[in-house]
Amino acid sequence: MTLRTTLMALVTAASLIAGKTVAQPGKSPLITFRIVFQTGAASDPKGKEGIASLTAAMLADGGSKRMTYQQRIDALFPMAASIGWYVDKEMTTFSAETHVDNLDKFYAILREALLEPGWREDDLRRLKDDMTNALRIGLRGNNDEELGKEVLYATLYKGHPYQHHNLGRAAAIQSITLADLQAFYRARYTAANLTIAVAGGYPSDFVARMEKDFAALPKGTPAAPKLPPPAPLKGRHLVMVEKQTRSVAVSLGFPMTVKRGDPDFVPLLVAQSWLGQHRNSGVRLFDRMREQRGLNYGDYAYIEYFPEGMYRFEPEPNLARRQQIFQIWIRPVQPETAHFALRLGIFEFERIVREGMSEDEVAQTRNFLSKYVNLLTKTKRAELGYAIDSQFYGIPDYNAYLKAALAKLTRDDVNRAIRKHWTPRNMVIVMVGRNTAQLRDAIVSDALSPMKYNSPKPEEILQEDKVVERLKLGIPAANTSIVKAETLFE
Amino acid sequence: MRFLPFALCGISMLLTAAEPQPKAFPYAYRQHDFSNGLRLITVPTDYPNVVALYIVVQTGSRNEIEPGKSGFAHFFEHVMFRGTKNTPPDVYEKHLKQMGASSNASTWDDRTIYHTTFSKEDLDLMLRLEADRFRNLSYPEDVFRTEALAVLGEYNKSSADPSEKMNEVLYNTAFDRHTYKHTTIGFLKDIEDMPNQYAYSKVFFDRWYRPEYTTVIVAGDVDDAAVKPAVEKYWGQWPRGAYKAEIPAEPAHGKPRRAHVDWPTETLPMIVVAHRNSGYMDDATDHAALDLIAQLGFSQNSELYRKLVIEEQIADMLGAGNFDNMDPNLFQVTARVKKVEDVPRVEKELLAALDRFRTTAVPPAKLESVKQNLRYSFALKLNNSEAIADTLAHYISLRRTPETINRIFARYAEVTPAEIQRVARKYFIENERTTVTLATKK
Repeated sequence: MTLRTTLMALVTAASLIAGKTVAQPGKSPLITFRIVFQTGAASDPKGKEGIASLTAAMLADGGSKRMTYQQRIDALFPMAASIGWYVDKEMTTFSAETHVDNLDKFYAILREALLEPGWREDDLRRLKDDMTNALRIGLRGNNDEELGKEVLYATLYKGHPYQHHNLGRAAAIQSITLADLQAFYRARYTAANLTIAVAGGYPSDFVARMEKDFAALPKGTPAAPKLPPPAPLKGRHLVMVEKQTRSVAVSLGFPMTVKRGDPDFVPLLVAQSWLGQHRNSGVRLFDRMREQRGLNYGDYAYIEYFPEGMYRFEPEPNLARRQQIFQIWIRPVQPETAHFALRLGIFEFERIVREGMSEDEVAQTRNFLSKYVNLLTKTKRAELGYAIDSQFYGIPDYNAYLKAALAKLTRDDVNRAIRKHWTPRNMVIVMVGRNTAQLRDAIVSDALSPMKYNSPKPEEILQEDKVVERLKLGIPAANTSIVKAETLFE
Repeated sequence: MRFLPFALCGISMLLTAAEPQPKAFPYAYRQHDFSNGLRLITVPTDYPNVVALYIVVQTGSRNEIEPGKSGFAHFFEHVMFRGTKNTPPDVYEKHLKQMGASSNASTWDDRTIYHTTFSKEDLDLMLRLEADRFRNLSYPEDVFRTEALAVLGEYNKSSADPSEKMNEVLYNTAFDRHTYKHTTIGFLKDIEDMPNQYAYSKVFFDRWYRPEYTTVIVAGDVDDAAVKPAVEKYWGQWPRGAYKAEIPAEPAHGKPRRAHVDWPTETLPMIVVAHRNSGYMDDATDHAALDLIAQLGFSQNSELYRKLVIEEQIADMLGAGNFDNMDPNLFQVTARVKKVEDVPRVEKELLAALDRFRTTAVPPAKLESVKQNLRYSFALKLNNSEAIADTLAHYISLRRTPETINRIFARYAEVTPAEIQRVARKYFIENERTTVTLATKK
């Protein structure tokens, strides 16, 4: 499985990437694993959406041939270990951490889980329930912010292998059989799709042992599904999700061809960071919307998929995709300010596209990112994850890649990339809230949406409000739809 | 914010049976007390270049004793980012950007924590900036009123989650006099009134943002000999305060309480059964024993989890939490049930599982396995400087010293099956029980 060609260009100080194995031997008593298969929800067959996730769940949260799930839990419990899994469009990740004291015992369980699945009916029944509940209750019922983001993705990728949620569709999940899962496992869990990553104070022969064990998988050939471009987006579209909820959650965006490794990726990363670095209070959207006007809890921008942003400060690695979207996330606003908040978000976006960034803003953001990248990889778990993603994108170690690109980046690079890839006239807007018909009508008619404040505001803000409150969004009624939350992801 | 109901109160270190027990907190730290009451803890770690600065203030929603002021400690956490005359907020932000720092804060029942992670060469500047805002915070009323709206936004963003509402109702039902009656974010009516509390905010700052309530933790690629003088220089002149709050004690209730939440949108029914606990203590085994019971009775490898989640599959979540609070709080057992008609059955099972701890001694091997789980959970958690500082900050907020960790783990080691039974009999009392259910409104 391993091509023993050490790619020196890809070697970081302490890491060895031999073929597709990432090994980071060290002194730490904590041994970190990331085992990634290059397959995911984009490979779900039509009508069986959810197979990729259910397969991973059966491996990580079901029994193996030798052990029932309960026996595995009992065995892992004293070690405080577990096997985590996550399925994205093109990657399936199993992650784990164990203390070196328990390495042999733990690895035996991990190996069996991934290589000798138990395929039991009672596990399948439980995990189907878990997945449908995650969609219907966790996402659709209890988290308006994530709901807005996922509806945005589903709308932008209509008719595309990325369309359905990573967990599948509730009805399709119910139709999946053990035979379906076994067939998916045989076809997709292959040596050709596998990357093993391990870090910590493991014995010197440990990686070779893992490679030998995982060589038992069918060889396979790397086969990523064909990925058509997303349907072209013309004009602005509005999707309202009707739900009995206190406030209005907003996400908006459009598909983008730029991904890590492309020449315009780092310039756009700089622009995104300045506009709305995730959970960072010094950035443009946050400052104009929350700090100056108190509209909500925060406002951010993204050029890569970042699920669970309400719980995380840094993105989880191994969500690598061949296609990404640009996205603005406006956290829930009071219903009476929803129209204004949407307008202000779009106003700021139009402004950066029109005016670009100044020399000083580019310099500051470049400096921020070249240091902040160290924090992204502060854990071994993240370091391994980023190394695997760098293989996917065909770039060197992420820190080195980013710092090198930032060092030679100019203001013109940034502003040219913004103008080329960011399209304020073509976007999908998703709003989750109640009485959405009324809000939709106000938006479609471009009705005035004046702001009232609870305190005096600087003249500059009041003047700007006069522009924002009448900003023409230009969304024709034909480009709008209202969907009931309970019909989504079925 | 209050921990999620299913989050475990994970805690612990490394022990090998044959050797004398090493200390639970494995890092060599230094602790310094300054004459104004400020405490500094430095923790050099093996992780290069990065430093985590955690500033722990021992005030939280527990300290909000006046009516109408619930949620104020958390609100004040927001206000602390509104700058000083020397360093207006945009200048502070500019510094953070130049450092590539990650910065945030959190508030809970008993404490507020401000944390920043950055490269080691920026430590002196960061200490200066933080000392400046702790000593010289200054904000105009219009800015204060705007910030109150961000808190309302924070309430809004969590309001779609029924477990937040259930938690709010649980505490409101389980307490009458003690300030644990309200959650950290506060009652909605108080949040809506926050813009009008400018004058009170000055009082709050004057009372609680004082050196005797504050501990500075510096963990990572640091040298204690360099950190101490820098802290002395920037924080040494900060004057000590004089305020002490009388937190009202919660009397015994003498009868069980119950509440139900009608939820407006689709969700699965949930139930929480809560008993008054001991509050955090590490000079006796009560709190440690309750932590162990939470794991023994309701974690993934418990009998009840096997029955309800894996075999019968009538619940999809089960967990217990015995939170580390300054005063007696709640030992909570929570389940999410797949069908509303199964809720009464699940409630009976939860109560029976609690009762078994009173009547039957747990097998010693099972107890040992939970103790081992806690030790490895703790060890696995300390996987970078920020995580080390973060873990430490939790214990610092309780007793102001890393020794807290060593003490609570010593208590875990002492707990016997008989001790589990004694503690279960003491705390799992029907008349001090609060039960809350939640289901979609029909």
